[in-house]
Amino acid sequence: MSTQLTTLLAVFLFPGGLFALVLGLSLKGLDRRVAARLQGRIGPPLAQPFFDLVKLGFKRTMVPATASQPVFLGAPLVGVVSMLVAVALVPVSGLYSPDPMLGNLIVLLYLLMVPAIVLMIAGSASTSPYGALGFSREMTLMLAYEAPIVLAVLAVALRTGMGQGGVITFSLTDIIAYQRSHGMFLLDPVMWPALAAFALFFPANLGIIPFDIPEAETEVLEGPLLEYSGPALGLFKVMSALKAVVVLSLGIALFMPLPFDGIWGLVGWLVQLAVLMEIGVTVVRLSMGRMRIDQAFGFFLKWPLLLAIASVVTVTIVA
Amino acid sequence: MNMIPDFKSIATKSPWIYRINAGSCNGCDVEMATTALIPRYDIERLGCQYCGSPRHADIVLISGPLTTKVMQAALVVFNEIPDPKVTVAVGVCPISGGIFRESYSVKAPIDQYFPVDVNVPGCPPRPQAIIEGVAKAIEIWRERM
Ligand code: SF4
Repeated sequence: MSTQLTTLLAVFLFPGGLFALVLGLSLKGLDRRVAARLQGRIGPPLAQPFFDLVKLGFKRTMVPATASQPVFLGAPLVGVVSMLVAVALVPVSGLYSPDPMLGNLIVLLYLLMVPAIVLMIAGSASTSPYGALGFSREMTLMLAYEAPIVLAVLAVALRTGMGQGGVITFSLTDIIAYQRSHGMFLLDPVMWPALAAFALFFPANLGIIPFDIPEAETEVLEGPLLEYSGPALGLFKVMSALKAVVVLSLGIALFMPLPFDGIWGLVGWLVQLAVLMEIGVTVVRLSMGRMRIDQAFGFFLKWPLLLAIASVVTVTIVA
Repeated sequence: MNMIPDFKSIATKSPWIYRINAGSCNGCDVEMATTALIPRYDIERLGCQYCGSPRHADIVLISGPLTTKVMQAALVVFNEIPDPKVTVAVGVCPISGGIFRESYSVKAPIDQYFPVDVNVPGCPPRPQAIIEGVAKAIEIWRERM
């Protein structure tokens, strides 16, 4: 098979595209169901996010009279496409490794920032004052969490690169291969600060409580999404489902790839995703309240940044 | 061709709810919030979700006797909700004005201004009654799809 064809398949079928969409929506359904059970409710069916998506397809998309229509309707498309490519960039241990032609860790980090930028653009294109509020909050949050995550990923890249005798490697495939032969970074105390920084970045990037400040529905009425309805809103739901898969599987690839191949690799990966979703999303969002934007900003410039810097320093010293 | 009705019944499993407070005394609003949010009367099992924006809504719950002051705003918000939508009037206030019925500043009954589909009487109605009202609204919504 030609490389172009495999790449296309990776973007649209597995692990990107259709597979990631179904996976992401199922993870969201699992999250809602478990959240309800933890609160002593019955909760929605597991397939609820799919129902929501079908429903949104039946509704009308309204464009505010003052909004810029191409930007307003184009923003969610850009978000979905960037996430489709991003899913195809994350290797799955023992199952799939992306074509180097597609890009490396740096491209992936850029793509991970696209949804936040898309939300900012959407918010400002909608010309709603709440959208503008969401815009400024999203931007503040992004500025706060971007430095820690880049440093945490850098620590992993340095550790792998030095372990392989070089300086630094930005290939996720190499990072996974290194961990498969030397043990997961999850069990390596040197990498714990980086892991902690990544764990703190994760709810902020996914926009869940305590960091769902830009889309807080009780404060800014879902901020950038306020003016969206129907299929356009559905595209945003697709984007966030894909993003959950990207961020979770990036975390798995960076810190805990399983040493299995084939079908067991797939099963193990799915279990890891589900467990991380429950621990990292459901429990966190149920047990905390929403931070104010200034609190979140201060928080990210304190702990995650310190942890990330500490991890880079220790990795350099240890090696 | 047979696929289309199927998708419609799937779609009606996801009604999103929006509340309009048209001058309610808050009794009905508290009941609505508890209906959906507290563990005992879980409305999420019907697939419902409260949404912050009228643009996302499918089922509108209106409470209160529609005071003169709030009427214009309530109508504007109501028109922002994309079709197909269903309107549920919660409490006795929207029907007759309830305890406010003789007041000079009250526009009830609200079905002069809003296309009310389901009435949930009570002052305030019990949570079970509100859930039944929403369930009825879902049936009406299915027909409108
Ligand atoms: S029906 Fe009763 S509880 Fe409800 S808004 Fe009217 S007065 Fe208040």
